Amino acid sequence: MDYGKLVEAVAVEKWGVLSDKLVDLILTSKNDDKMSSQLANSILNHWQKDSLATQAGLTALLEAAVQLEPEKTVAALTELQLTNIAEQLKGALVKA
Amino acid sequence: MVKFGIEFVPREPQWRITYYVIQAERGGFTNLWVTDHFNNRNVYVTLTTAAIYTNKITFGPGVTNPYLVNPVFTAQAVATLNELAPGRVVLGIGAGDKTTLDCVGVEWKKPLTAVQESVEIFRKMTSGESVVYDGEVFKIAGAKFLFKPKGKIPVYVGAQGPKMLALAGKIGDGVLINACHPKDVEYAVNCVKEGVSEAGKNFGDVDVAAYTSFSVDEDLKKATKAAVPVVSFIVAGSPSQVLERHAIDVKKAEEIREALKANEWGRAFGAVTREMIEAFSVCGTPDTCVERIAQLVKSGVSQFVTGSPIGANVREAISLICNKIIPNFKA
Repeated sequence: MDYGKLVEAVAVEKWGVLSDKLVDLILTSKNDDKMSSQLANSILNHWQKDSLATQAGLTALLEAAVQLEPEKTVAALTELQLTNIAEQLKGALVKA
Repeated sequence: MVKFGIEFVPREPQWRITYYVIQAERGGFTNLWVTDHFNNRNVYVTLTTAAIYTNKITFGPGVTNPYLVNPVFTAQAVATLNELAPGRVVLGIGAGDKTTLDCVGVEWKKPLTAVQESVEIFRKMTSGESVVYDGEVFKIAGAKFLFKPKGKIPVYVGAQGPKMLALAGKIGDGVLINACHPKDVEYAVNCVKEGVSEAGKNFGDVDVAAYTSFSVDEDLKKATKAAVPVVSFIVAGSPSQVLERHAIDVKKAEEIREALKANEWGRAFGAVTREMIEAFSVCGTPDTCVERIAQLVKSGVSQFVTGSPIGANVREAISLICNKIIPNFKA
């Protein structure tokens, strides 16, 4: 799945709230063993530079959130009224 | 001005701890402590990752012990960390706990001597000396690093009992007092002062930290729920004189001990009372935590360490500490 493409469709004014939501999902997930070290490093690099609420930061967060908590990620996107992205993600998850 | 430290247990994956460490440093924490237990992830690997992602926070093992890791190796690890983050590294060392050592078949003998000797060896090794040491616990025939350690690394001694507290005051650059209640901390600080004066030092030269079990949330119920498991283990491990000092029913404590042994978590946690939480944690809303920390600072504490569990939601708890607690203690 091209997470960068999905993030491109998110309005800039929602970047902050989306990154906050995804960080919360990732940090509270019990499935931490599903986090790849590459993604973890990418997220930490963005966090260190305070750039999680950017396109690149959100791409890493979204991919990690889907790895750890796919259903909750879809629910979070829906809650933020990012319905189109939530539907695309849902479809891809069903196919997978 | 009181400093704020934060403790992490590397049972959590490194990326998660590192995320919290970056958040804590940014929010005003000055010290990071990572616990050292054989059954969790390695303390020095965790600290190395934290060092790479931070640039201000002071950090160290909180605490290691001389039984499972020979002090020469502790000196090597800490001196190497100090090359990575010069001037930001400290050593936290204590006597360890018998239960953990029993698990790996290591005898817990002469804890005071073991700590005193290991601090001496650590200081000699990290000052670049060739060390020959003939102690009661440690014998070193001749050890020297093939690299030059950088600078003096402060040593904090973790302590709970009166003798170890006095020793910590005597030999430590800092003391990590394992207590939460003002009554206990006041008593501990007096013990530390005895050691400090025996060594002819000024009390103000020693960084005295209250290393607490801490839980904050805007919702008291959530804060309490997070604190209960940690408190249940503290109660189970406390001698009866400590329980009596806090008017805690010894029979209740025994009930918790038995339930934990039988892995009956619900029964153990259900037996934890409000009095136990008061005695063995700093727990509540930001306002109540501020009050409690202020009491501890009055006793002579110069660093307040927010230890496990920190809060029901660690990220939110760090945010609350940084925004609603730490600002109350800025000069």
